Amino acid sequence: MELLQVENLTFTYPKQTTPALQDVSFTIADGEFVVLCGASGCGKSTLLKLLKREIAPHGEKQGNIRFSGVAQSELDERTGAGTIGFVAQNPDGQIVTDKVWHELAFGLENLGVPAPVIRRRVGEMASYFGIQGWYHQATDALSGGQKQMLNLAGVMTMQPKLLLLDEPTSQLDPIAADHFIDTLQKLNREFGLTILLVEHRLEEVFPIADRIMVLEAGKLICNGTPGAVAAQLRDHPMSRCLPSAARIWAGLSVDCPCPLTMREGKDFLHTHFSHRKGAAVPVHQPILEQPVIEAEGIWFRYEKKSPDVLRDLHLTVCRGEVFSLLGGNGAGKTTTLNILAALDRPYAGKLKIQGKPIGDYSKNSLYRRNLTMLPQNPQALFLKQTVHEDMEEIRKSIPDFNGQVERTIQFFAEKYAISHLLEKHPYDLSGGELQKCALVKLLLTKPSILLLDEPTKGMDAVSKAQFAKQIAELQAEGVTIVMVTHDVEFAAQVSTRCALFFDGEIVSAGTPNEFFSDHHFYTTAASRISRGLFDNAILCDEVITLCDEK
Amino acid sequence: MKKWISYGLLLVGIPLVLLLGATVFSTKQYAWLAMAVMVLTCVPFFLSFEGRQHGATRLVVIAVLAALSVVGRLLFAPLPGAKPVTAMVVITALYFGGEAGFMTGALTAVLSNFQFGQGPWTPFQMFAWGLIGLVAGLLAKPLKRSRVALCVYGALSGVLYSLLMDIWSVLWYDGGFNLSRYLATVLTSAPFMAIYAVSNVVFLLVLEKPIGSKLDRIKTKYGI
Amino acid sequence: MNAIDRLHPTVMPVYFLAILLVAMFVSNPVISLLALLGGFLFCMTQCGLREMRAELKFYIPLFLLMALTNPLFSHNGVTPLFFMNGNAVTLEAITYGAAIALMVLAVLSWGKGFGRVMTSDKLVYLFGKAAPQLALMLSMSLRYIPMLRRQAKQISRAQKVAGMYSTESYFDRLRSTFRVISALIGWSLEQAVETSRAMRARGYGLKGHTSYSNYHFRRTDALLLTLAAILLAVVLVGIGMGAVDFAYYPAISALPHTALSVAVYTAFGCLSLLPSCIELGEQIRWNYYRSKI
Repeated sequence: MELLQVENLTFTYPKQTTPALQDVSFTIADGEFVVLCGASGCGKSTLLKLLKREIAPHGEKQGNIRFSGVAQSELDERTGAGTIGFVAQNPDGQIVTDKVWHELAFGLENLGVPAPVIRRRVGEMASYFGIQGWYHQATDALSGGQKQMLNLAGVMTMQPKLLLLDEPTSQLDPIAADHFIDTLQKLNREFGLTILLVEHRLEEVFPIADRIMVLEAGKLICNGTPGAVAAQLRDHPMSRCLPSAARIWAGLSVDCPCPLTMREGKDFLHTHFSHRKGAAVPVHQPILEQPVIEAEGIWFRYEKKSPDVLRDLHLTVCRGEVFSLLGGNGAGKTTTLNILAALDRPYAGKLKIQGKPIGDYSKNSLYRRNLTMLPQNPQALFLKQTVHEDMEEIRKSIPDFNGQVERTIQFFAEKYAISHLLEKHPYDLSGGELQKCALVKLLLTKPSILLLDEPTKGMDAVSKAQFAKQIAELQAEGVTIVMVTHDVEFAAQVSTRCALFFDGEIVSAGTPNEFFSDHHFYTTAASRISRGLFDNAILCDEVITLCDEK
Repeated sequence: MKKWISYGLLLVGIPLVLLLGATVFSTKQYAWLAMAVMVLTCVPFFLSFEGRQHGATRLVVIAVLAALSVVGRLLFAPLPGAKPVTAMVVITALYFGGEAGFMTGALTAVLSNFQFGQGPWTPFQMFAWGLIGLVAGLLAKPLKRSRVALCVYGALSGVLYSLLMDIWSVLWYDGGFNLSRYLATVLTSAPFMAIYAVSNVVFLLVLEKPIGSKLDRIKTKYGI
Repeated sequence: MNAIDRLHPTVMPVYFLAILLVAMFVSNPVISLLALLGGFLFCMTQCGLREMRAELKFYIPLFLLMALTNPLFSHNGVTPLFFMNGNAVTLEAITYGAAIALMVLAVLSWGKGFGRVMTSDKLVYLFGKAAPQLALMLSMSLRYIPMLRRQAKQISRAQKVAGMYSTESYFDRLRSTFRVISALIGWSLEQAVETSRAMRARGYGLKGHTSYSNYHFRRTDALLLTLAAILLAVVLVGIGMGAVDFAYYPAISALPHTALSVAVYTAFGCLSLLPSCIELGEQIRWNYYRSKI
């Protein structure tokens, strides 16, 4: 039975000439799990919002949207609000009230459900989602993963038939994201909840979806089973977004069904490339000289009586390195970055930047033509009405810029292809665009050390590839980069060395190839797929090259 | 005009009547009475606010502006003499009307005192900041047109705030209104009054533009 | 382990207002002392001994200040102790100052303890009955305050690392705080728009809104409210009959000690001490149960 029908939907934003969506038609049956993907700005968010009448953007709309056979405009208010649930990207922005229990009850209060019924439904939902433990807490005290789970639970109490999710895991760490996706799968399997999920992290959701739809420039270009869509995208730029197994398959010309999961990928390699067993990626040891960051025996805690966050940390990073710190939440990675940037002070240990003890940098000389940090939330860097105005502020930071500011801004804007963004408001940019502008703003201070905190959070595959290229260029110019990340694939691609952070110290470190082939759990998908067949292969491209070599 | 009369009655009438009543009864409990008056004057505003159904965006924006002025008070707490509350309340009133200004002022007093300490002075602050917002809303047109007028209003509201809080101190610590003690209090708090007045002007001058343009952006982009 | 916390949100405000009403209207030293005693005990059970000790450091100088400065402004009374600048400093004025100070301290300590008990949750609940929109706004502001503080810290750090105003001078700090506030405003308004979208998505604004809470009105609550009503009635009747009248000016009158005035003292004492007794009783019971395990 069809739950949702979209016919020839065309949508144009006010004052725009090109439509954001063009002639989009599809149906979703009751109980289906559908994933919608596409590059940033392809219109997937717009499409999702149009499906929920209460939050539909303003603009010119043609075509029909029908829910259970009823036109969207004819739906009565309660059905519109209750039976179509919506979860957005930002875990913080969606929370309305100050307490978890109130947040769970909020939707039901609005629907006018009597209090005893609310009590039952909220109790049921809190138990199902494992919320009892923090039921009475303040919503702000929760972790990002918990917040997003609360947003989902708050929608689920209203007992929706269709759940729309707009990149719900993009702001979460991988473990919380997996947990969230698992919960969605469970809701779909156990309760027959119909799900339409917009995602760019496809490794996990691709294999579990019933159907994949791909949007490109406002047009629906694929709509089919995961296997069929993977095959269709084989030579498309979007193939970068596919799961690793499918990407390896796409890079090789073997005539067989596309593998989607790790296991299928492994089987695929063993079936077709067992003759290449033992092939290895050569390991290049980076030449480490000219240390620019030297940390010895750093101890840190936030308050006098709180536990130590860093315990006897030793870390040396040399000029031109890209050093990635990996590890779980709360291991002390971000704290390390804050200490390197002199934002927090260790209570024991020595720290030298460019050979000079950090205490010897007076006032803000550390941040002028020396060290800078890209915060996890790049919006924090922008205060003005346009990106350009914000960049001009750099005059205040570097007084000896005399007259060169404009030229430098234009130079960087061209180099990073952000010229068209300069006159826009920072909050109107997509995550990837904002990240790029933030990087340019920081580069204007001509740093020789760049600290990055979760730089790929919320970025799609295309932006990530561009970002990797920029990092390589900076590295070639002699900039040293220290990065904290959850993104193992990205770290494997760009780093000279990777380190695993655990319990306040570094427990293992090495070149990406050594590092990821040594780890069993904290490793890339390509490494897991090719393990046992090839040595040291950690990227899809490396696996493809090893397979292809004669 | 009708609105002005009803506001005038409310703001001047009730306190006057009650204070007169208190002097006639000649009890020594002005502090208590004054507190009751302050609470009572807030009630009609709350009721009139509640009487209308507000859109989600308007409600959130006012709540956020109140939260902002609380956080502003907290952020500036380590810098002696600087308190952006009045400026935030006035700016809210300029862009969202007197009622929103009153709500922001009153909410800020209650909420920030969760941090700075609740006490019998809370109703007074609610009333004082609320009143500043309300009047700013009524004068929105001239205040928006001229920066001089805005500065004068900021300075005046600093003085009035200080005078009002002094009345409160005297009533509270003396058990009755004693003119000589009031003058002594006003004299000792004169430096604070000056700081309030000056900092209000500074805050208004510095914050009016950035907040205004941001509120305008939200208004045009999302249509409130 | 907090007995007061388990009570319905309406109970404590009733006690608080009743005690405040009597303590502020009656200028009888016994009443003031009883209110102060109750306030101190209550504050102690809610805030702990250590915080109470810190509080006393503020209370004692305040008491002395008020008692000693009153004669400077008030020259009533018939028992001059000595003359200052040609004005009499009277025993009555000092005593009156002390009595007012007692009352002020009583109200302050009740206010402190009460502030601890009336969590924002309960405040939102009380508002929610009469004014749901106002209550929701209060709740939203409370939700935003910690979030904005966090973001303010992030902005100020991001700016510092970008080399903007990172010195420690007063004006640099002032200017950077201005920048943080201005950035915070932009950021929070964007969040506000998102929140309002989430509200609409979950049906905000539909007709026929209900309100839900975790609080239950139990038998204990009814009992405590009835008790408060009876005790307050006794006290008010007594006051109305002039059983506890006391004057400082022109001369300090004798302390009333008729049977009725003793009844009023007892009733008010019960009213004032009941909240702390409930709390202390709970703690004793707890220790007893624990010792049996």
